[in-house]
Amino acid sequence: MKRKIALGLLVAAAVSALPAAPHAGKSEVAKMTLKVGDTAPDFTLLSDQWKTVKLSDYRGKKNVFLAVYVLAFTGG
Amino acid sequence: MDSPAANSAFAKQIGIKFPLLSDMNKKMLKSYGILKGYDVHEETFEWALRANIIIDKQGIIQFIEEGDSAVDPNTALTMCTTLHKKEPAN
Repeated sequence: MKRKIALGLLVAAAVSALPAAPHAGKSEVAKMTLKVGDTAPDFTLLSDQWKTVKLSDYRGKKNVFLAVYVLAFTGG
Repeated sequence: MDSPAANSAFAKQIGIKFPLLSDMNKKMLKSYGILKGYDVHEETFEWALRANIIIDKQGIIQFIEEGDSAVDPNTALTMCTTLHKKEPAN
């Protein structure tokens, strides 16, 4: 069966010392600046194999599913 | 931020077959507007939003889901399937 998802990218963006409930101080209500229909900004990131991965490398080749995880499961 | 080494260990642990990426310099998170600063105890800490983003072969964003709704990936997966079906067969 052909895979429906051509590529999945997971950005593990965990912060180790994240407070569980940052009730002290002001917390900003976050909103993404990008919207559907925008050109995705190119990026170069390090993979788990220590290789650089560029979004533009997939241009014309594969769709990209970018999953950004805060407090990923890696313990990092 | 999780390092490539931490991601490598995690990738092996659960057997994933796609790249697990580290944004160690936070450039990507900033350019996508995902990294946010929060003031806690007179210090500013930065961490990222939970987000699912689908980008088509032309580099155009086709789907964005952020915050609590992005915890469940099923909507994004459905969008992936829809996008895949729209493509002409090669």
